[in-house]
Amino acid sequence: MQVLRVEDLTKEFSGVRAVDALQFEVARGKIFGLLGPNGSGKTTTIRMCLGIIPPDAGTVEVLGSPDPLRVRERIGYLPEERGLYAKMRVADQLAFLGAIRGLDWPTAKRRAEWWLERLGLKDRMSSLTNELSKGMQQKVQFAAALLHQPELVILDEPFSGLDPINTRIFKDILLEEKRRGVTFVLSTHRMEEVEAMCEEICLIHSGRVVLKGALSEIKASYGKASVALEYEGQGGDFRGLPGVVSVQDSGRKARLRLAPGADSQELLKALVERVRIRAFRLEEPHIEEIYLQEVGAAELLSRKPGGDFRREEVHP
Amino acid sequence: MKRHQVYHIVRREFLARVCNKAFIFSTVLVPVLLGAYTFLVPVLFRGTTTDELRLGLLYVSEAYVEEVVAALDRIERPKVIVVERQGVSLAQRDEVRGRWSERVKQGDLDGYLMLEPSEELLFNARYFARETGNIEILVRLEDALRSVLLQAVLEGTGVPLEKVARVQRAELEIVRISERGEEKGGFGAAFFSTFALAFLLYLAVLINGQGMAMAIVEEKASRLIEVILGAVTAMEFMTGKIIGVMLSGLTQLGIWVGCTLIAVLYALPAVAVSLPPDLGLANLVSLEMLFYFSVFFLLGYLLYTTIFAAVAATCTSTEELSQALFPAMLLLMVAFFGVFFAIPNPDATVTRVLSLIPFFTPLVMLARINVLSPPHWEILLGILLLIVGVLGCFWFCAKIFRFALLLHGKRPTFAEIVRTLRAA
Repeated sequence: MQVLRVEDLTKEFSGVRAVDALQFEVARGKIFGLLGPNGSGKTTTIRMCLGIIPPDAGTVEVLGSPDPLRVRERIGYLPEERGLYAKMRVADQLAFLGAIRGLDWPTAKRRAEWWLERLGLKDRMSSLTNELSKGMQQKVQFAAALLHQPELVILDEPFSGLDPINTRIFKDILLEEKRRGVTFVLSTHRMEEVEAMCEEICLIHSGRVVLKGALSEIKASYGKASVALEYEGQGGDFRGLPGVVSVQDSGRKARLRLAPGADSQELLKALVERVRIRAFRLEEPHIEEIYLQEVGAAELLSRKPGGDFRREEVHP
Repeated sequence: MKRHQVYHIVRREFLARVCNKAFIFSTVLVPVLLGAYTFLVPVLFRGTTTDELRLGLLYVSEAYVEEVVAALDRIERPKVIVVERQGVSLAQRDEVRGRWSERVKQGDLDGYLMLEPSEELLFNARYFARETGNIEILVRLEDALRSVLLQAVLEGTGVPLEKVARVQRAELEIVRISERGEEKGGFGAAFFSTFALAFLLYLAVLINGQGMAMAIVEEKASRLIEVILGAVTAMEFMTGKIIGVMLSGLTQLGIWVGCTLIAVLYALPAVAVSLPPDLGLANLVSLEMLFYFSVFFLLGYLLYTTIFAAVAATCTSTEELSQALFPAMLLLMVAFFGVFFAIPNPDATVTRVLSLIPFFTPLVMLARINVLSPPHWEILLGILLLIVGVLGCFWFCAKIFRFALLLHGKRPTFAEIVRTLRAA
């Protein structure tokens, strides 16, 4: 069953198409990754999915309703740009955010306290919000998106600015909620998270879908065309080597992306002459490589000839 | 529109407004200041008025000097004591005056009177003093000198002085005929009560409306707005905010009115002596007036908070806000100063037109009703136009809210707003 269905969604801002005939579906109980570079139209898409702004064309169907506003009490939303009332007590604030999502006040208050306890903020319940650290405030915002037990939760860059411990806590909560059947839409450009959490993705660029589907299928379709290399010595630039289209070199480890049909044995031979190889493994590509490749290709397509190329490591 | 959500926005907004230093401060301070003004000032003035006025008397001709001294002696408050008198020739006059002025400067004398013969009147008098701002003293001195002149003129005519003095004190009793019937009390009462009511409205809008506008900008700046807009619509958000601010304004007004009533019931009788005689409570505010005040307060307050909210929605920082609010404040100020014009000219064409323009109706029409009782159809039309204005503003503001709340960075120009609204 689809929790979110977007069809031909289009939005223009003063002549610029921010979202262009976008089409994707999110199945219940999944973690869905909405990916794309800055300015690709992710936030605009999310806002239309929530009914915050109306689309110019196309439809959005959320939880079976063509009007997101009618089911908004069943949706949780953590915007990328988020704030809190500075002069409000933490528990009241959280309860308020729950109440405007339809909870009655006693329930909102009780759940707020429960969440604050769960997030280790029990002793800060009656502090003013501006007395909390940034990380603590993020926890409150995160709880606000889940307080009313929504069926669909849309998180826009949920992990930005989080330290590793809090990231861990958020991920645990997210997975726990997922197990209870909650569907998540995760908008991000942090590819490790996508790799680790998302089951389905939709990659957009300039408001258009570049790639979508189950992550495992997408990766499989790219074949084992990536080389995970561990090496020692000064290898110089791997980019000129036979069959290599892109390189991510970290000094001791590198990932080399092969052109379709390229012979990995040729590459191995060439590498042996340059560096001391400790590991050479053929793998499915990381989502980051796919992302760079697809976005790079899309960017090339959308550029006029003779334009500047910023992303040098991509050679499609 | 979901009532549950709106209720919680209202509740939060109300609490945020009321549990706020500025609110508490202004709620307490305004009655204290008004109280101080109405009750303390007369008391204080009474206290500072010198109990004793030490005067000198300089004269060129002996004639009437005795009578003047006697008349000055009869002044009771302040007690006038003629400490010194001296006759001078016209040639010496300026030299002696110079010396006396020096003595006044040094505080040896509070002032001195100089009498000179006059062809038209019997004498001319001039008063030289350090302090010439106290009208009470000046009036008393003038009265004393007039009585001397009058006595001298009447001497031998057989007309009794007493009668003439009474004639001089005769007053014109002012009775206003209106649809409410006849009322005593003239300009003073109308001016005072209209001004007080207009000021209350003006102040409440200014304090609460500005507070709300600031809060909206802060919600935008802290990016809280998107969290909220994920849960409620812009319309619900705006409605909740405006109602919340409205309630806080009414609370404030309630406290002020309560304070005034307490003051009137308990404190007024004690100091009533110091107020002008036509300022009786019944003269100040009638029930009908209270009704109109409530109507215009509610509608005016709604109109202006809506405008303030719309302006705030387009701003991204508080610095920007104060600049952007200026035109709205100007409207309010024009309305407020319109009251000063409307009180003496309640039926002038300008006043009538002003009182029918929604932005000015709450204050100007209120003033007109208070001093003139304009025809019912005009009042009704004013209220009707005001309601239309409020609804129009609300509609316009909701549109602005919808598109401007999520805008950051540069503030849209008015032309851009209009263009976007037309496109939407």
